[in-house]
Amino acid sequence: MKQILLFLFWLLLAVVAIALTIVLGERGAWYFAWVLGTVMIVLIAAAGTAIIDARYDESHDDHY
Amino acid sequence: MQELDTVIELSRLQFAATALYHYLFVPLTLGFSVLLATMETIYVITGRDIYRQMTHFWSKLFAINFALGVATGLTMEFEFGTNWSTYSHFVGDIFGAPLAIEGLMAFFLESTFVGLMLFGWGKLSRGKHLLVTYMVALGSNLSALWILIANGYMQKPTGSAFNPDTMRMELTSLPDLIFSPEAQAKFVHTSIAGYVTAAIFVLGISAFYLLRRRHIELAKRSFRVAALFGVFASIGVISLGDALGFINGGAQPTKLAAMEGLWETAEAPAGFNLIAWPNQEEQRNDFEVQIPYLLTPLVTHTFDESIPGVNDLVAEAETRIRNGIPALSALQTLRENPTDAQARATFEAHQDDLGYALLVQRYVEDVSQATDAQIAKAAADTIPPVAPVFWSFRVMVATAFLMMAFLILAVIFSLRGTLHRHNWFLRLAPWMIPVPFIANEAGWVVAELGRQPWTVYGQLPTWLSASTHSVGYMIFSLTGFVLLYSLFIVVEMYLMVKFIRLGPSEGKHDAHADSVRQQHSSQWSEA
Amino acid sequence: MDPYVLLKVTWWVLLGVLLIGLAVMVGMDMGVGAALRYLGRTDGERRAVINMIAPHWDGNQVWFILGGGAVFAAWPTIYATAFSGLYVVMLVLLWSMIVRPLGFEYRSKLPGERWRGAWDWMLFISGAVPMIVFGAAMGNMLEGVPFHFSWNMVSYYTGSFISLFNPFAVLCGVMALALALYQGGAMVMNRGTGVIRERACRLLSIAGLVALAVFTLCGVWVSMMHGYEITAGGDPAGPALPLNKTVETASGAWLANYTAHPALWLVPASVYLAVLGGIVAARAGLSHLAWWLGALAWAATLVTLGAAMFPFLMPSSSEPSHSLTVWDASSSLGTLGWMLAFTAIFIPIIGIYTSWAFWVMRGKVTPESIAHDEHAY
Repeated sequence: MKQILLFLFWLLLAVVAIALTIVLGERGAWYFAWVLGTVMIVLIAAAGTAIIDARYDESHDDHY
Repeated sequence: MQELDTVIELSRLQFAATALYHYLFVPLTLGFSVLLATMETIYVITGRDIYRQMTHFWSKLFAINFALGVATGLTMEFEFGTNWSTYSHFVGDIFGAPLAIEGLMAFFLESTFVGLMLFGWGKLSRGKHLLVTYMVALGSNLSALWILIANGYMQKPTGSAFNPDTMRMELTSLPDLIFSPEAQAKFVHTSIAGYVTAAIFVLGISAFYLLRRRHIELAKRSFRVAALFGVFASIGVISLGDALGFINGGAQPTKLAAMEGLWETAEAPAGFNLIAWPNQEEQRNDFEVQIPYLLTPLVTHTFDESIPGVNDLVAEAETRIRNGIPALSALQTLRENPTDAQARATFEAHQDDLGYALLVQRYVEDVSQATDAQIAKAAADTIPPVAPVFWSFRVMVATAFLMMAFLILAVIFSLRGTLHRHNWFLRLAPWMIPVPFIANEAGWVVAELGRQPWTVYGQLPTWLSASTHSVGYMIFSLTGFVLLYSLFIVVEMYLMVKFIRLGPSEGKHDAHADSVRQQHSSQWSEA
Repeated sequence: MDPYVLLKVTWWVLLGVLLIGLAVMVGMDMGVGAALRYLGRTDGERRAVINMIAPHWDGNQVWFILGGGAVFAAWPTIYATAFSGLYVVMLVLLWSMIVRPLGFEYRSKLPGERWRGAWDWMLFISGAVPMIVFGAAMGNMLEGVPFHFSWNMVSYYTGSFISLFNPFAVLCGVMALALALYQGGAMVMNRGTGVIRERACRLLSIAGLVALAVFTLCGVWVSMMHGYEITAGGDPAGPALPLNKTVETASGAWLANYTAHPALWLVPASVYLAVLGGIVAARAGLSHLAWWLGALAWAATLVTLGAAMFPFLMPSSSEPSHSLTVWDASSSLGTLGWMLAFTAIFIPIIGIYTSWAFWVMRGKVTPESIAHDEHAY
C-alpha cells in the first residue's frame, strides 16, 4: 500500500512538472529558463565541488 | 508649485535612498540562499561533515544579511502608501496584487522556513533540513519574482486599462501581467545577479582564509563551489541583460536613448558610444569615443534598423501630449456628469495619451489652456537625465564583464588546483566583494532613473504620484531614515567583519572535526 | 446577490481575518518583546525567553507584511489614504518595527552587557510601540480622520499628527498592548518552565484584567461618540469611487448595527468570557487553552469593532461624504476575484507548513538548554 501511494505521489509530481513545463515553456520562456538554469548551476557546482573529496581520498593532495 | 516640487523631489530622494539601501541586502539573500542549498546538497549526498560545517558557517553570515533585508523590506511595503498615495490609488488595483501574492506565496514560505533552517539543525533529519533550505531559496526567489512582476508593470504597463468611473487603472488580465516579457527578463536578470553577488561574496572571504592559511579545508571547498556557481550565473546575467535591454528598449525608447547617449536618431549602422559626456541642456554629447557599427546589432539585433534618438522622441511626445489633452478635459467633464456621452466618446478616442496630458498639467492646471511653450517643456521632460543613466549603464556592464573574467579565472585556478600558486589572485578576491554590489545598484539606477519622468511608463507621471505632504514631514522622515539606516549599516558591517574574522571554528561543538581541520592546515604549512 | 458585492463583503471578512492573524501572531511576539525585561531577569533567562519565539517571529511577522500587501491589493484606496494620512504614525510604527529583526538576530551574537542591554531596550520599544500604534490606528478609524479628495482622487490629509494620539486613540492603543502582553504571556507559559513560567502567568493575569477594563471604557466611549451613517447613494454594487454618496454623523450611530441585530452583542460579551476564562485556564496550568482563548479575545475585539463600523472602513471627519466604505474603496471585480483564488489556495498551504514548523520546534526552552545550543540566539 505504502509503495503504491509513494508511486502515485511521484507520478503526480511528474505530471505537475510536465504541466508546468508546458505552461512555462509556452508563455514564460524566461521563467522556464530560470528554473532549468538554476537546477543546472546547482548541480554542476555541487558535483564540481564533491570531486575535491574523490580526489582527496586517492592522493591526499592538499593543494587547492 | 514650488513647495510641491520640493516635496516630490524629497519623496523621490527618500524612495531612492531606501530602495537602494534595501537592494544592498536583497541580491545577496537571493543568491546566498541558493548557494547554501547547493552546499547542503553536497553534504547530504556525500555525508561529509565538512560540508555541514560549511553550510552552517555560511548560514550565519546569511542570517546577518537576511535580518537587514527583512527589516528594510518593511519600509518598502509601507512606502508606496505613505509617500506615493496617488500612485497607490491610480495603479493599486494592479500593483497591489503581485505584492499581496508575494506575501502569500513567497514571503511566508521564506520566513517560516528560515527559522527552521537556522534553528532546526538538531531537530530535523538531513533530508528534511535540506528540503527546508531549498524552501528558503525558493521562497526568497519567488519573492523577487512577484516584486519584479510589479516593477515590470511600472516599466511597461500590460494587462490593464483606465476606468473613468473609478479614476484609476484596473486589471484586465492577470496572466498578461505575470507573463509580461519585461517582468520575465527582469526577474531572471535580477535573481541571477544575486547568484553572482553571493558567489563573489563567498569567494572573497574564502580567498581571505586561504591567504591566511586558515580553515583551508572549508575554504577551498567553499571557493570551488562558489566559483562554479558564479561563473555560470555571470554568463546568465550578461545574456539576460542583453535580452532585458532588447525588451525594455522596445518598450521605453527614451530610456534606451539615455543609456546610449543618442541625441539624434541613429541610422544603421550606428556606432556605440563607449565613452561620452552627455550635455542635457544643449542636447548633444560634449565629447564621445565610438566603436563603429556596434550599436545597431547590439540594440536592435538586426543590421538595418534605426534607433530613435532624443530629437525624434521629444517630437513624438509633443504629438502625444496634444492628443492626450482632450482626454483629460473630457475626463474632468465626465467626473461632473458621468452620463455625458459626448465626453465619454472623446475620452475613449484619446485615452491612450491621457498620461501625456498629465505631464503638461504640471505646468498648467487647465490643460486645454496649455501654451506651446508649456507643451514643449512637458515634451522635453519625457527624456530622463541622460548622463547618470548613461554612466550607470556603463558601470553596470563593465563590472559585469570584470566579474565574469574574475570568475572564469577562479574556476580555472580552483579546478587545476593551482590556487596556492596565485597569491595575487587570493589577495585580489576580497577586493572584488564590493563590485557586484556596485553593479546591482547601478542596475537599479538605470532601470528606475531611466524610467523617469514616469512612475508608470506612459500612464502616470512621477510629479503627480506623490502624497501631498508638507516639506516638514518629508524632512522628518528623511532624517529618521538616515539616522536609523546609518546605525544599521554600522552594526551590520561590524558583526559581519567580526564573524568573518572569527571564522568557522567559532562553533566549538565539534572538537574532533576541529582538530582534524587543524591537522590538515598544519600539514599544509609544512608542505 | 451581485458577485461584486459578494466579493467586497468577502474581502471585508478576509481583511478582518488578516487583522486578527496579525494581532494574534505578531502581537504575541511583541508582547514577549515588550515584557522581556520583566520575564527574564538574568541574561540566561532573557535568552531563553527570546529563543521561545526565535524560530517563529519572522514567519509571524509576515502576517503584518501580508496585511499591508492585502490591503494594497483589495483595498487600494484605504492603503493610499490611510498610510499617507497617518504619515508620522506610520513612520513611528515602521521604525519601531524594523528594529525588531535586528534585535532578535543581533542581540546574542556578541557578549557584553551593554550590547545586550541596549538590544533588550530595542526589543521593548519594538514590542510596545507598534502595538500601541496599531490600537491607536483602530481608534482613529472609529473617530474618523480628517481627509478629503480632489476630483482626480488625490488625497489630502488636513489634521495634525499629534491629533492622531488623542485620548481615545491612546486608550485603544493600551487595549492592544494589554492583549499583546496577555498573548505573549501565554506563549512564554507554553514553552517556559519554573520562575519564567510563573512570571508569565502573573503577566497574563494582570494584562488580561487591564484589557477588560480598557475594553469596557472604550465601549462606553464609543456609544457616546459621533458615528457615521450613509444617508444617500453608496450603492453596494457601484464603482469603487468614494465621491458619490452623502454621509452624516450622529451621536451613538456606531451602535446602529447592534440595535438592528441584537445577536451581535454576543461578540463583545465573548471578549469578557474569553479573557476571564483564559486567566482561569492559565492559573490552572492550561496554558495552551489560555493561548487559544486569548486568540479568541483578539478576534472578538476586532469583530466588535468591525460590526460597529460596517460598512465604513475609514470615515472622514472633515468631509464625511468622502469616507471610505466597503462599497467604494475596494479593487475591481477582477482583482478581488483573482486575489480570492490565490488566497483560497495559499492560506491552507501556509497553515500546513506553519503548523509543521511549530511542531518541529515544539518543546520547552530553558536557560540551560540555550547555553548548550550553538544555533540559539
